[in-house]
Amino acid sequence: MTASHSGTSILGGVTVDDRGVHVAARATGPLVLSVEGRYVWSLTPERDGTPDAGGWLVRWPHILDRYLDGVGRIRVTDVAGDAVFFDADVELGSGEGRIEIVDGDGNPLSVDKVGHLTRSFAATDESVRHEIIEGTHRALRDLRESCGVEAYLNYGALLGAIRDGAMIAHDSDTDVCYLSRHESPADIILESYRVERTMRALGWDLLRMSGGDIKLLLRLTDGRICHIDIFVAFYVRGTFYQLGNRSGRVPREVILPVSQVELHGYSFPAPAQPEAMLAFLYGPGWRVPDPSFKYADPPAGVRRLDGWLRGFRSTMGEWTEFWTGAASDTVPRRGSDFGRWVQDQIDPSEPVFDVGCGSGRDATLFARGGHRVWAADFSRGAIRVTARRARKRGLEIQTEQLVLGELRQALTFGARLARDPHHVFSRQLIGALDGPAREQLWRLCRMALRGSGRLLFLEFSAPGPDAPAAVPADLRQRVDPELIAAEIRSFGGVIDHLEVGPGEDLYDQHDPFVCRIRASWPAPASAPAREAPTA
Amino acid sequence: MSTSDKIRNRVQTWRAELSGEGSVRARLDALEDEVQELRQLNRRIAELTDVVVELLVPLQDRDEERVREVLEHYRANI
Repeated sequence: MTASHSGTSILGGVTVDDRGVHVAARATGPLVLSVEGRYVWSLTPERDGTPDAGGWLVRWPHILDRYLDGVGRIRVTDVAGDAVFFDADVELGSGEGRIEIVDGDGNPLSVDKVGHLTRSFAATDESVRHEIIEGTHRALRDLRESCGVEAYLNYGALLGAIRDGAMIAHDSDTDVCYLSRHESPADIILESYRVERTMRALGWDLLRMSGGDIKLLLRLTDGRICHIDIFVAFYVRGTFYQLGNRSGRVPREVILPVSQVELHGYSFPAPAQPEAMLAFLYGPGWRVPDPSFKYADPPAGVRRLDGWLRGFRSTMGEWTEFWTGAASDTVPRRGSDFGRWVQDQIDPSEPVFDVGCGSGRDATLFARGGHRVWAADFSRGAIRVTARRARKRGLEIQTEQLVLGELRQALTFGARLARDPHHVFSRQLIGALDGPAREQLWRLCRMALRGSGRLLFLEFSAPGPDAPAAVPADLRQRVDPELIAAEIRSFGGVIDHLEVGPGEDLYDQHDPFVCRIRASWPAPASAPAREAPTA
Repeated sequence: MSTSDKIRNRVQTWRAELSGEGSVRARLDALEDEVQELRQLNRRIAELTDVVVELLVPLQDRDEERVREVLEHYRANI
């Protein structure tokens, strides 16, 4: 046993290095790790670690990688903070400077229970915490009174309310649920769409996360955005489902009629039997704090929820991280060679719809060339980058999010483009789409281009002998040009040009196999061709 | 063929059925994939219903300005 800087006894058995946290083989229970005196991460060695040197090694979460460089005072304790297992300065990475795990404004960050890097309530001022509580209260009132759904406080906020009447220190957002009266997943999704519309009409900024949950973005006075998740809960053939991923046996009486619980002095609607709900969510040990808790969801329930409600935005977070992170700096800013190839074929008076615009490098190229430009991307981060670049250069580019995995979005973009024909331009998008999303793109093209005289221009990485993996890794693949050509034809398109040859990848590095396609959509035989507007 | 040979043959046949392409395991995997595809139709039905309910009736008006407004408003709220 040694003494820490503060004089507290160190129990030992834990060491920390570049690989992660090493725990000697004995039951420590959940551990809390702080860096420079601030909470950063919770772990349970037996569950999160791998056997190593007779004990456990729990590797650093990848999301912390870019912060773990320098020297930092690291302390590992039990949940209550009474038992200190490790407390010392640790040199990580280059070992230069002090380790700072903070956001752009210097606010401390921590890893939440689903592995995201966020600001926890422990690092939040009293007044800001009040804003979060008040916002959650307002969200529940809007859901119950304006949307007409049986909404209740749930998850961490409910746990904190029942245990202490206060938010849990290591939590970073609040979650609310509503029990749908529907039992058919299609009706449940439609109800969620109605909830979304009503909440937007009430002034909420929000994101759709799946067919059954939306995320309210609550802007706080300290510049941060707090997330309030609105999850649907429902019964199908007697089984209870609740997003995130919970499913099992929960009698209706556990939820309705709602009760009231106190949280920081506010009264919130809660499940009728909050203790029973907490036992369902966190197991029988829910009364004992465990910040490293992870849900163990029945795989069959997860499979059903995935099939019913998900599948259209699985890589959105990664793309936003890419376009707003350091990696995007390696994407050149000037227009691409493909962009210039297209520009040579169309008149400046003809508008261009850049789908999958990324950083907006080609949207900017077209706008500079005098084209009216409409740019869309899956990632809100990419759209922000494109809009910012356009603003900086004094260019007018209409920017909008387009989630091709959502049929209704593809249909409405198609309808709007049919009324205002643009050329459709897409560079390095195809390899990032799955089959259903590609199908929606062709559907959009058919609606937008049929009989308009406008064209589709595509560039993407193709397979070939010894071809390197497409970049960025895990987010994009090489796609067979013949498959793409066949799909376009099956949606009524005509391939005017198809070539495969050396070209450039996303970073303008040499790519031996790049496919370029130009396609058009003739008017159906029975319909008169539309006259393409001149501008 | 002796009884033990018959039993051996039958066991070999069962083993082949359990591990080959037409095996119970392979058919179960295929069935699970197909069930998942059917589940995904729920979202498509919901999306189509939403488009019809929110857009089709106003589009019947054939009022150009109204149609543009309805399309823009629908887009802004999904």
